Amino acid sequence: MISLTSPVETWAHRIPAGVKLLALSALTVALFLTDRPGVLALALLAILALYLSAGLAFAGQGLRHLRMLWPFLLLIALWHGLTGQAQAGAAIALRLLAALALANFVTMTTRLTDMIAVLTWLLAPLRRLGLPTRTIELAIAMVLRFTPMLVENGQRLALSWRARSRKRPGWRIVVPMAALALDDADHVAEALRARGGILNDIPDGRD
Amino acid sequence: MSVALRDIGVTLAGRVVLDGISARLEEPRVGIVGRNGSGKTTLARVIAGLIAPDAGQARIGGADMAADRRAALASVGIIFQNPDHQIIFPTVLEEIAFGLTQQGQRPHQAEAAARAMLDRFGKAHWAPAATHSLSQGQKQLLCLMAVLAMRPRVIVMDEPFSGLDIPTRLQLMRYLDGIAAQVVMVTHDPAQLRGFDRILWLEGGRLVADGPPDAVLPRFETQMRDWGGLDDLAHLAG
Amino acid sequence: MERNMTRIALFAALIAALGLIPSLTLAFGVPITAQSMGVMLAGAILGAKRGALAVLLFMALVALGLPLLAGGRGGLGAFVAPTSGFFIGWPVAAFVTGLIVERWRSGPLALTVTLASVIGGIVVMYAFGIVGMSIALKKTLAECAALVTAFIPGDIIKAVLTGLITQALARSRPASILSRP
Repeated sequence: MISLTSPVETWAHRIPAGVKLLALSALTVALFLTDRPGVLALALLAILALYLSAGLAFAGQGLRHLRMLWPFLLLIALWHGLTGQAQAGAAIALRLLAALALANFVTMTTRLTDMIAVLTWLLAPLRRLGLPTRTIELAIAMVLRFTPMLVENGQRLALSWRARSRKRPGWRIVVPMAALALDDADHVAEALRARGGILNDIPDGRD
Repeated sequence: MSVALRDIGVTLAGRVVLDGISARLEEPRVGIVGRNGSGKTTLARVIAGLIAPDAGQARIGGADMAADRRAALASVGIIFQNPDHQIIFPTVLEEIAFGLTQQGQRPHQAEAAARAMLDRFGKAHWAPAATHSLSQGQKQLLCLMAVLAMRPRVIVMDEPFSGLDIPTRLQLMRYLDGIAAQVVMVTHDPAQLRGFDRILWLEGGRLVADGPPDAVLPRFETQMRDWGGLDDLAHLAG
Repeated sequence: MERNMTRIALFAALIAALGLIPSLTLAFGVPITAQSMGVMLAGAILGAKRGALAVLLFMALVALGLPLLAGGRGGLGAFVAPTSGFFIGWPVAAFVTGLIVERWRSGPLALTVTLASVIGGIVVMYAFGIVGMSIALKKTLAECAALVTAFIPGDIIKAVLTGLITQALARSRPASILSRP
């Protein structure tokens, strides 16, 4: 499974993931606390500088991740253009862009393993409360393992459908896909039991 | 170390799958043959302790594998027919290391041992590979390495070579030859049991023959060919 | 224990797979991401608690940076976009859908699941979505509700499909409907 982490190695990759996530949370809250277009424009410029400092290829990739916003930007432009509240509209649009760009920046500069390490750290207090945190880590690994397999199952089922039909399978493919997923789940549960099952008294993820 | 089966009976969904199976397996290579639906896969699961029999007992080295899962982890490993049903992790290294952490090793120890296992098979470069991207034969080899890393004294294999091409099958069988552990292999193909020491033949959940390959396999093959002349695909099970 | 956990993990993977499989364009030419149908299915098939856990697991993987949302989106941005309210409402939607299927046992399965999906997967999910939109776009709840009505017919189709799919599964694998043990 390919994560959204940028293959372009930047300075920001080296900052600890926890620090980045903390800064992201604080800055996102700050973005929603102000309504002044000037401040928000400055914030967006700063984020743009952040992207450019990582190189043009990286910034281009970041821009592509913002594409999903265009219907909303169009909507705001129309709405606020018609009601004549350009300043309020600008604030909303700038905030949308800044918040999404900042969140994407952290995702693009943090490796999956570092993210999982933060999650493990966040879950550590739960472990002391007796919650099976190892189960959560195991489940995450399983989803990564089985998503490509289920996609392949889906494609195989679609092929075997088309081999016998002129129509596309559409939603009907979901029935055998879900049935296969449930069968696979039972097989994997057995494989897990064959290797000792879910044991909660073994050493945890870190030494 | 030996596998002791005493009067094993299993009933699944009201159907008798295994009935009165008794055997003491001490030979290094034991084959279990039979048709589809003869109960051999169920027997493999009973030996590995994945199913507790409804009657009788299955023990390895004196311990009940279904009841004592910790003893089972140290004594027996199982390789399924479909490696996709066995591989739990997204990368090769995690897959091999998992069983070792389950046995109580610290993560860094487990990782080192997993790398050593890959090295032993000349596959050190596989460590970071995505399990999903492996070929069917490579996946089966990974399952074998993951089980071997746990150093079980008995390895149960359920049709491990079905669906593999001949060169891949021969390569895997060669890997198997070098293994010190006792191997119990379930198959419907007598050709895969060359060099084995003892064969159990199951039919309809009962043991119909038990002995050295020369005594059991020729009779088995003749019977299979006779049945091949009939049309019993018409019967629905249950 | 192992079985519950692997089913939760496999359903999280199923939600991901439904987003990755292209060409699920359904009736009226509306491109329907099958993913929110995956959320309804998780609740309807696994039941309230396990369904919600499967969705939470999926969301955790998105947060970790995997592009598992339809169209290859993902990462932390999934939580701050104008449509994030819908996403954040997913586990509650699965829970409510599952709860209704678990509790209301008298009606035919397909109808029960469809209605449960309408309440959980549409009413509850849109409540979250509309609140999220009103925060991001600084519009009133009524204005945001008006903006998203266009998507309701598509989601009703998904609720009906969820009912049909669950019924088909109940026929082929009666034991698989964990919400109706």
